[in-house]
Amino acid sequence: MSESQLALGQVVHASVMEEPAYALQPKKLTIWLFIISDAVTFGSVLFAYGYLRLGSTDWTTPFKFSSILNGIIMTVVLLTSSLTMLAAVLAAKAGRKSSSVKWMGLTALLGVAFATLHIREWLHMMAEGWRLSRNPTGGSVEFGAAFFSITGLHLLHVTCGVIAIIVVMIGFNRGRLTDGHVETTGLYWHFVDLVWMFVFPLLYLMNAAH
Amino acid sequence: MTETKSLREPGMKFYVFVWIGLMIIAGIEVLLTYQGFSTGKLLAILLILAACEAGIALMYFMHLKYERPTLFWSLIPVTIFVLFMMDHIWADAIRLVRVRVLPF
Repeated sequence: MSESQLALGQVVHASVMEEPAYALQPKKLTIWLFIISDAVTFGSVLFAYGYLRLGSTDWTTPFKFSSILNGIIMTVVLLTSSLTMLAAVLAAKAGRKSSSVKWMGLTALLGVAFATLHIREWLHMMAEGWRLSRNPTGGSVEFGAAFFSITGLHLLHVTCGVIAIIVVMIGFNRGRLTDGHVETTGLYWHFVDLVWMFVFPLLYLMNAAH
Repeated sequence: MTETKSLREPGMKFYVFVWIGLMIIAGIEVLLTYQGFSTGKLLAILLILAACEAGIALMYFMHLKYERPTLFWSLIPVTIFVLFMMDHIWADAIRLVRVRVLPF
């Protein structure tokens, strides 16, 4: 190919390229739009829970302090995982690949720890007789439905986030993915943490046994 | 494709302080739960604190503060509006469930 043909190709290519919207990489804008839509999804289920709770005449508040303590530990674990993910993103942007991979590995481990604590809480409640449609205390069955569905939806997001972090960690380590991918995954993980900041007070603290 | 940054991002030390702040807010939420407030008052307090936590996480952990302001103004007010409207439409939906259809 001659230089003039190459130059023509470059001019044509340059005229086709547009300025990125908001000066963001497309994948970063995409994850922001996904986060907004997911926030509305969680908002809808939390509003539904709110109306069920306020409209119920025999709502049960079953969480003893041991469950609240478990919730506190889960909150600390998830907040710490957000910090480690932030460290991974900063390391990736600074070109420190091995450091970024280690921080992502730690984030994934903390995510697994959160999921383990969560499932432990579920098993404890099921052992007491709680189900999606059963209340062992004889009160409103809607508590079980709200609790297991909302926390289950959040746990699904955590699980998908852990898988995504591991995939990006491996891909970034092998040089197939960029720091942009690490940042995008980080945004999703912070969103998962942000949702827990509403789930913990509304589902656990509002249903603490006094 | 390079991005333009409107504000200089802080270092890891600053984010550790943000993390400590978030945990303090979570601790305050737990303490307030056992102060004997009524359900409505506790709900309002916890929602305000949760919104503060979410705002801090959004602006600092998710770096929205360091992106172009147009991104913030395009996404956040609209989302808040949608959530606000959803909260108010729910009550109407529950009312409609109780409306009886007269048989002909």
